[in-house]
Amino acid sequence: MPRDDRSPKRGLRARLMSRGPERDVDDEIEYHLQRRIAEYVAQGMDPAVARERAMHRFGHVPGVRAEAVRVERALARRERAGEFLGAAVRDARVAMRSIRKSPGFALTATICIALGVGVTTMILSAVDAILVKPLPYPNANQLVSVYAQDVPRGWHGVNISYKDYVSWRDDNRTLSALGMWTWSTTTITDGESERVAGAAVTANLFALLGVRPMLGRGFRPEEERLAASDVVLLSYGLWRRRYGGDSAIVGRTISMDGRPQLVAGVMPPGFNFPDRGQYWMPFATDGPAREGRDNRGYAGAIGRLRPGVTLEQAKADLARVSTQLQQEFPNENTGWSAEVMTLRHDLTGDLRQPMLVFLGAVAFVLLIACANVANLTLVRGLSRRREIAVRSALGAARGDLVRQLFTESLLIAGLGGVAGAVAGAFGVRLAHFAFPGGVPFYLDFGVDARALAASALVIVVTAVLCGVLPALRVTKLDVNRALRDERAATGGSGGRHMSGRSVLVVAELAISTVLMIGGALLVRSYRAYTHTDMGFDREGILTARVTLPDQGYNATERRIALYSDLEARVRAIPGVKLVGSAQGIPFSGWDVQATATFAGRPVPPPNEGFDSHFQVVFPDYFPAMGIPLVRGRPLLATDRDTLAPVAVVNETFARRAYPNEDPIGKRVKFAPPNDPAPWITIVGVVRDFRHYRLPQPMGPALYMPYAQSPGRTQTLVIRTGLTDPYVLVPSVRAALHEVDPKLAFYEVKTIDDAVSESLWRQRVQSRVLAVFAALALLLAAVGLYGLVSYSVLQRTREIGLRVALGAQRSDVLAMVYGQGGRLVVAGLAIGLALGALLSRTLGSLLYEIAPTDLASYALAGGVIAAIALGALYVPARRAVSVDPLRAMRIE
Amino acid sequence: MHFDGRRRIVPIGTKGERPLTASIDILRGTLDVLVLKALSWGPSHGYDVATWIERATGDVLSVGEGTLYPALHRLRSKGWVRSSWGVSDNGRRACYYELTATGRAQLRVEKANWTRYATAVFAALAAPAKPA
Repeated sequence: MPRDDRSPKRGLRARLMSRGPERDVDDEIEYHLQRRIAEYVAQGMDPAVARERAMHRFGHVPGVRAEAVRVERALARRERAGEFLGAAVRDARVAMRSIRKSPGFALTATICIALGVGVTTMILSAVDAILVKPLPYPNANQLVSVYAQDVPRGWHGVNISYKDYVSWRDDNRTLSALGMWTWSTTTITDGESERVAGAAVTANLFALLGVRPMLGRGFRPEEERLAASDVVLLSYGLWRRRYGGDSAIVGRTISMDGRPQLVAGVMPPGFNFPDRGQYWMPFATDGPAREGRDNRGYAGAIGRLRPGVTLEQAKADLARVSTQLQQEFPNENTGWSAEVMTLRHDLTGDLRQPMLVFLGAVAFVLLIACANVANLTLVRGLSRRREIAVRSALGAARGDLVRQLFTESLLIAGLGGVAGAVAGAFGVRLAHFAFPGGVPFYLDFGVDARALAASALVIVVTAVLCGVLPALRVTKLDVNRALRDERAATGGSGGRHMSGRSVLVVAELAISTVLMIGGALLVRSYRAYTHTDMGFDREGILTARVTLPDQGYNATERRIALYSDLEARVRAIPGVKLVGSAQGIPFSGWDVQATATFAGRPVPPPNEGFDSHFQVVFPDYFPAMGIPLVRGRPLLATDRDTLAPVAVVNETFARRAYPNEDPIGKRVKFAPPNDPAPWITIVGVVRDFRHYRLPQPMGPALYMPYAQSPGRTQTLVIRTGLTDPYVLVPSVRAALHEVDPKLAFYEVKTIDDAVSESLWRQRVQSRVLAVFAALALLLAAVGLYGLVSYSVLQRTREIGLRVALGAQRSDVLAMVYGQGGRLVVAGLAIGLALGALLSRTLGSLLYEIAPTDLASYALAGGVIAAIALGALYVPARRAVSVDPLRAMRIE
Repeated sequence: MHFDGRRRIVPIGTKGERPLTASIDILRGTLDVLVLKALSWGPSHGYDVATWIERATGDVLSVGEGTLYPALHRLRSKGWVRSSWGVSDNGRRACYYELTATGRAQLRVEKANWTRYATAVFAALAAPAKPA
């Protein structure tokens, strides 16, 4: 017996001889007492007395016993744990050695698992952030957004009028509170002028959202009046950035648009209502344009449902109020109703469908990854049948074999899982860039641990199950036969397993075909978006918006003078060709609609009039944008007579308003016929161009010269001959600074970037699906390659025999391509059919491309076929190069 | 279970165990070092260890004999002592304890510590006068 106390035999023998801690300790104590009694008796003591003396000398027997048993138990526990860990470490070492022998398999399996876990984690995290996690407000599921909708015309999500808001707020029975907000921007004018965006809110809005200022106080109801509204709440970010996080700012005044504003408080970090707001001011209920019930120009309302009230009940309740309003105010409200939706739907509703499509796509990718891992592991298991048989013959128990294969699979799955977690975290970081301007504050978009755990679980279970399968089958295997069988020597006959694995490969190919079709449809849709004829030039045009404050610009002459001066200065900058301006440029979201009245025609009933987009422009707007005049004359700098205004209209306006007439010389106004406002004479027609975010088509539009209707906001359109118009930004800012240092440009961007930004969702959709399709195809190609290479390896002897019997190179190629080709054709056929069924779910994500678009199917099928044939090339080459003499000798 | 002859027990957790040279509980530490010494001549029963300690210390350290057993188990769980079961002359199951290699090393350490400790205490007690 070795004297090394690490020898396992000692532990083994000790355990075999042991009868459990209690019995052992009892025996030990009894032995001691007996020896002592024997000693006393030998000295001539009476046995009964001897026992008593021995007990006394021993001490407190139950106490000693308990303590000894406790120590013994603790030791046993530690030994068990140590043994388990020791065995695990040893298993892992053996597994590492075995994996290192086939690094190709290990690497491929690890990458498959990592890809599967990574993309699934990324998409599930995104879905969780966008569709599942509650918005960052207490009881956020009670929050609803309220907009206006024109039911007969099918207009949804329209801005609201203040009067309607007041009626909804006061007459509803389902909301505990209803607040209102609208966009606002201002220029901070102390220090360097800076344009910041925020919102004007009713005093109850933040309270009903459940957000309290971090410093100071919220707005008071009495501050909802122009005279008292010189208070402001700052965002945490603005407070830190511009005021150094100084809490003394609360209660002091800062200068906005040249007016002193009292800082009432600072909102908590991460709050940027409505999405990237930096400051908030009270919504003054006595401000301009609050009166008109049909002046639907304010962003919207947000309410909180009373406890126990459902969304449907609130919808019905506000519809009831809206019906009353229609009866009471037919001129303003005929056809109009409140549109109630959950705040979540309002904020993320348009992301719902793409997210669901991504979810489906990523499930497919995960499925392919699982199939691949299963395939790889099964092939490896088959090729190890001989090894397993040998070890089994040498006396390895089935449990040991299972445990070793289990450890190997677990190790690979673990490596893949860790790599997948890293990939997932990276993917989530990447996905943050998908949002233009960053992830909005109300989304909590990080790596979701549950998503990671779920995806890892699916694929790890697959890997481990498939990895252990060969060991489970070993009992069914006749060891002698397995060792003798020359087919087992190269990896097993496995006809049945072969067909099972063929099914997996066909499924992989079919699923990648489906994803490829989806990807092709979305990529082609995005192409259709970007190739849409916008009707204006996209290259070389810089735009910048400026809004004039009340202070100093109340007189219209001052505004006209400022913009004219600014335009002249910008035009003088070298590199600038033309400068015009409009209130809002295309794709900026700017849209003012007004109902037109036509001279000499009867007034239509309420809500059946002719609505038109309305813009005020500087005359060079059209030439600067590259929009040609198709009839009449252009607007001129001399069109300044406010009593005899003129306008140009677009082709759609002309076509719809004057189907069979010449629009030139016709007169319209945006007021009832008896209104004292002067008639506007149409002097020209410009070609249609896209103003709204795609896919919304252009509607009728009318453009008036700025001098006849001077507003506070204009967006400069600067046509340059430069490929990068942004180089002019400093000079353009300097020009504004020269005319008024208190003004600041905002939304400075090229028209091309404006278009591109508006298409971010479509771009992300097409890219994500294209990437998924590529990943799926890669995985499927690996699966096909693995299957056919294995089959070639297994048939080496057969191929050698055939070549020896006179088979030609082409026969061998036909054999390999025939086997692989059957799988590819089956996969493609199933995939194309499945794609035709599933592509309908893309529905509204497609643009000018039908779900049955042949080109997309041809493209997807072609790519899959090409890559699949590529994957067959290597095994085919290997088959052709088989040396018959050597192949025959393989035994 | 199968063993490949190089298995090593990895102890889990050392909570409650004292570092090698500490002597927080003098009595227990004393008992431990005496037990190690008692086993240094070869394997023996708990009874023999008790008898040896009594004789060797001239009955000065008269602790209850029973306290010896938790001490033996403790030493075993530290890996300083190993045990094996045998059958004694009168047919009883008896547990033999013997020192392991680490136990032997530990005995040297404890012995050195004890000598240092005793010397220091002795020197202090033998000091003739209070220093200035």
